Amino acid sequence: MSSPLLWILSPALLGVGLLFYRGKYQWLPTLIAGIASLLLAWIAWQLPIGVVMRLGTLNLEISPSLVVLGRSFTLSRAHMPLLTLLYLFQALWLFGGYLARPGVLFTPLTLICLALLVAALAVQPFLYAALLICMAALLLIPVLLREKAKPGLGLQRYLQFQVFAVPFILFTGWILSGVEANPSNTMLVLRASMLLALGFGFLLALFPFHSWIPLLGGESHPYVFGYTVFFLPATGMIFALSFFDRYAWLRDADFNAPLLLAGGLMALLGGLWAAHERQLGRMFGYAAVLLSGYCVQAIGLGGAAGVQALFALLIGQGLAVWAWATALSRLPQQEATTPEGLTAQATSQPLTIAVLLLALGSLAGLPLLGVFHGRLAVLDETMVQAPWAALAALAGSLGLLAAAYRLLAATLAAQGQRAKGWVEEAQPADNSKASDLQHIYIWGFAAFSAILLFGSGLFPQLFLSAVPELAALFSQLVR
Amino acid sequence: MNAFVLGFSLALLAIVCLAQLLTLDWRWRLGYLSAIYLLAFVLITASWPLELAAVKLVSGWMATAVLGLTQLNKPESEVSDADDFPQSLLFLSMAAGLVIVLASGAAPAMVAWARQFDPGVVWGGLFLIGMGLLHVGLSSNVFNNGLGLLILLAGFEVIYAGVETSILVAGLLALLTLGISLVSAFLMQAGEGQRP
Repeated sequence: MSSPLLWILSPALLGVGLLFYRGKYQWLPTLIAGIASLLLAWIAWQLPIGVVMRLGTLNLEISPSLVVLGRSFTLSRAHMPLLTLLYLFQALWLFGGYLARPGVLFTPLTLICLALLVAALAVQPFLYAALLICMAALLLIPVLLREKAKPGLGLQRYLQFQVFAVPFILFTGWILSGVEANPSNTMLVLRASMLLALGFGFLLALFPFHSWIPLLGGESHPYVFGYTVFFLPATGMIFALSFFDRYAWLRDADFNAPLLLAGGLMALLGGLWAAHERQLGRMFGYAAVLLSGYCVQAIGLGGAAGVQALFALLIGQGLAVWAWATALSRLPQQEATTPEGLTAQATSQPLTIAVLLLALGSLAGLPLLGVFHGRLAVLDETMVQAPWAALAALAGSLGLLAAAYRLLAATLAAQGQRAKGWVEEAQPADNSKASDLQHIYIWGFAAFSAILLFGSGLFPQLFLSAVPELAALFSQLVR
Repeated sequence: MNAFVLGFSLALLAIVCLAQLLTLDWRWRLGYLSAIYLLAFVLITASWPLELAAVKLVSGWMATAVLGLTQLNKPESEVSDADDFPQSLLFLSMAAGLVIVLASGAAPAMVAWARQFDPGVVWGGLFLIGMGLLHVGLSSNVFNNGLGLLILLAGFEVIYAGVETSILVAGLLALLTLGISLVSAFLMQAGEGQRP
């Protein structure tokens, strides 16, 4: 048994198998996939790699490598914390799908998608990861497209940009080997840097290649969109760190300032656009641009501080994005909801809207909530290295906070109108379904979200304790 | 590779790509796409063994077949309705001319980077990338988008074959080609019968 078989092939095969499920119980594939994800997370957490274990008379060893067509896929002991985290998040998204109803294809396709993303982290040489990430991105398209809907501009641009990234990154890899042999050739270094920037610009939807994110947010199911803007950039960021970890000249070259500024600009623009956006789906998209901006800043910090800040951000943001996506999926008009729509739904969906606001507050980086610690670590270091970039990012956070305030004001407006007794005249309340206060699952979701968001904010030693182990994957960067 | 074969292939490639750009009938466009894959295969044989290069040809033709079958299953009215590709011959010819000029300018510079590149092969690859970008950029139609991405990827594969001979990469790129065509086919079928 080898680790790539366990964490790549087995979930991929399970996903393929679940694609063919046509039974009466639609929740069954989700349950099976969720349990399998939890099991894989537990194995990654508990079982050692490359050590012979005795199970009675049976000797079991999980070897770290698998050779496929002359190249190896390696998941060593250093990968285990990351695998645990990825499969835990996968389980969270799968179980959340029970409430969000993202469609029957969500469970199998996301399982195969995660297998491809793990393969991207395992493949040697690591440059081939660009191909596997692109395939994972393609795989999400059938779920991103709403049922009976025509593909919009956002989805097409998403497809284009993910494919555009592949040539740039693969070419960069080839040029980088030349730079390694001759690091004094400044022209070669410049070309490699430009190709690298373009490749990751397309892959991670960095400014100015971010346009598909808000467009897609406004046209696809919020839950699938949330999954896409969490898992793809997270894997892409880790892939980007691999470049810095692998190539000494990249660490030595002074890319910190451009990355900090680019990240600050993204956070600023994302936050400001979110503050002006009326449609919640697109607002979610702009928030995702802001999140990517902070992650880029974390990479720009360099060294152990940067890597640890990136993982702290990813954990906090992952929880908040999940809560936001699930809550938005519960609203009747989902991504098309506006602040006025929230006013109308405030009476029927108080719990869902509360979670939505809490998640948005967390994404904005409010203290006591999960994202705050990672945000603080990034801003603290950035303020020393590039104060303007830190201020720009902070302004972006304030923009997202302003968006949260607008939604809060819209929600509270409904309470005020109801108190005055003219709510029906001002905005017809959505009476299509009963209040979510009557649903035990929504109570459970709200309580669980509050525990995750407040828990990760109030007890970082519990939720972020694995960050140093996660960062240890990049031995050269954290040295 | 024989200079005559290379020169003939490149000339044919330019004619086929131009013809594909100027034609409006999707059947001809797919026919030209299969010819492009054949010519890309010829260019790739300059760097790769024949059996490995054949992977590109087979995957490319399979991708073409997927797009063709999907178009065949669509009602004719939807096929013509959705096509917003520019139809001015002058504009399209000028755009293609621009791609030829750009490829001709960039190919020698690229060869100067590394000696393992053949100038003709690089020109062919860059030309295909440019034509692919034209298809993607000039239309918001899913079919043209998929067609453009496939041409772009074929161009990249022609150039990349000069520096990478890994079987795994060949397999993954073939899978990506098929993936793009399958996703395009899915998007072409989506919302069928619905008005936008």
